[in-house]
Amino acid sequence: MTNLSTFINSATSRRRFLAGAGASAGAVAALGITGCAGGTTSAPSNPTTPSTAVTDTDILNFALNLEYLEASFYLYAATGAGLQSSDTTAGSAATYQTVGTVTVGDAAAVPGLTAAQQQILNEIAFEEQAHVRFLRTALGTAAIPMPDIDLSFFGPLAVAATITTAATGSGSFNPFSSFDYFLVGAFIFEDVGVTAYSGAAPLISAAGVTAGYLTAAAGILAVEAYHAGYIRTSLTGRAIAAGSAAAYPYLGAANLVADLRATLTVGDSAAPSTSGSVETSLTLPTSLTTPSAIVAASASDAVGFSRTVNQVLHVVYGSPTVGIGKGGFFPNGVNSPLATTTA
Amino acid sequence: MLTLGVSSLAGLVIGGSATRANAATVAYSDTDILNFALNLEYLEANFYYLAAFGTTIDKANTASTAAGAPLITLAGTVGTAGTVSGGSKVPFTTIPVASYAIETAVEEGKHVQLLLTALGSSAVAQPAINLGTAFQTLATAAKIPGGSGFSPYASDATFLVGAYVFEDVGVTAYHGAASLLTVPANLVTAAGILAVEAYHAGLIRTTINYLDPTGATIAGYTNLISTLRASLSAAGLLGVAPGSYDANPDDFGLATVSVSLGGGTNATATRITDADATNVIAFARNTTQVLNIVTGGGAVSGTAQVSPAVGVFFPAGMNAGPNGFK
Repeated sequence: MTNLSTFINSATSRRRFLAGAGASAGAVAALGITGCAGGTTSAPSNPTTPSTAVTDTDILNFALNLEYLEASFYLYAATGAGLQSSDTTAGSAATYQTVGTVTVGDAAAVPGLTAAQQQILNEIAFEEQAHVRFLRTALGTAAIPMPDIDLSFFGPLAVAATITTAATGSGSFNPFSSFDYFLVGAFIFEDVGVTAYSGAAPLISAAGVTAGYLTAAAGILAVEAYHAGYIRTSLTGRAIAAGSAAAYPYLGAANLVADLRATLTVGDSAAPSTSGSVETSLTLPTSLTTPSAIVAASASDAVGFSRTVNQVLHVVYGSPTVGIGKGGFFPNGVNSPLATTTA
Repeated sequence: MLTLGVSSLAGLVIGGSATRANAATVAYSDTDILNFALNLEYLEANFYYLAAFGTTIDKANTASTAAGAPLITLAGTVGTAGTVSGGSKVPFTTIPVASYAIETAVEEGKHVQLLLTALGSSAVAQPAINLGTAFQTLATAAKIPGGSGFSPYASDATFLVGAYVFEDVGVTAYHGAASLLTVPANLVTAAGILAVEAYHAGLIRTTINYLDPTGATIAGYTNLISTLRASLSAAGLLGVAPGSYDANPDDFGLATVSVSLGGGTNATATRITDADATNVIAFARNTTQVLNIVTGGGAVSGTAQVSPAVGVFFPAGMNAGPNGFK
């Protein structure tokens, strides 16, 4: 943990990662130990519930922010372009009306794919696009527009995760540069999607349950887990085929992402896991008698993890700091009353 | 967080607010729902233990111990305890499939342990489970070539097909149960298990897709199995329309499909995810639908429910509390 904090500090000094988060070296160094980078002296009793009541609309719109991000990433990777404009507009009654833009950076159709690999990218892109459309339809006039999205954040994120040139071959980390890099990029999102829906499910009101929102959320949760299963199976399978961790550095790179996520979210001390261990590292099975570690779940009872709204924001903002409302993949924050981290 | 609040549930009964078709006619408590899940986990865990280690969940051997698989004390007492028949260790030849089998066995074992612990004295006993001839019956019904001789324990490839039979069913069962649970802690846990079942399903489908990208063999079989499951599931609806975020048929195997991306570009995509083609939300099934699948049609006669549902994997039916399962 100390090493990771050190790495994050060095990354911070070079990149805009954590920019706007007031990221002093001291603040970040503390997170590995106390889990409270913001210097909060005591955690709120229930950090997932802000002072104003969270409505089902808030919850669905929060999910829609994440789906905008995921869909944009996968669509660029599959086709070189993002959501069509009609999928990004604001509902007439939405609190937020400005349609955001995508900072493209290196985002482009991933080159050199086999036909089978291209079909996989197409599937995930289509399915995340379908989730955007489903949520927009379910929300109707309350649907938020797409927020500003920064797909160039992968670079700073990779630096913070200490995914180095040496670890992944040549060049800087770019999830749009090859299938294997893409898998690592996708790894950043998928488990987060699973845990975000898992964390949101109990927040849905009784009326929302009757309206079918819970069933819908659980169904999207399952699809995110199918995707995560695909990504993690592919990383593991390709590592096995390569024969060693050294021959397939992408497995290790994904685990560095998991380590970083754990570090970013550890600050939410009242979250389901106060240790920050809502992560399961991938392993490289080396024989017919060693297990893989495809599933991300608790070691004790194999139940999938959940993340609070705050924990999800810490990941997508790329910051462990309490009290910030933007950063990372969302340079101007998510379109939500929950946008600012409170724990 | 991961402790289920079952002990506080005595007397709680689900009202008619469930969105699932049919289930609203049966009043299930959280205990009932978790016991339904426990029956399914007994089935899954024993399948994976037998395939990966060559033993059942209640008997440790060298392989299960080395893998850290929990040794299950069959402490459930509600209902009639049965025995597990059939099944044997798969002679795995590839590391990916062998390692996935071991991982999944351990995880399903932990699910059994979790539910047993949470339910305590309310836990159902392990019912009679057929993991041998049941597969041949199902494979024959699904019209898999050579189905009458099909064994999921013969090879890496047939094991994957056997696993395929279970995983998407687990997803739909937990999904269907989610809106019926009344205690928030139970919902969180059920959502977490749902996620794990979907990870498993994604894993299995991804692997089959890699091994048979053209659908000539095992990937083709997945469509036969999904078609059968969808048919059994449809019968379980008893003529009632499926839920608002559901569809019928509710099961799809591996294939390539045409999708529209971004501004309307048509592209060919895989179908790793088992979900409806429009909203891409995984399917949910009620207890009758799930029962009808795992008993090979034993839950429905014409348009009437049969209780207890008996057949295929559960030759004496599931174990249940006083309400039974329909």
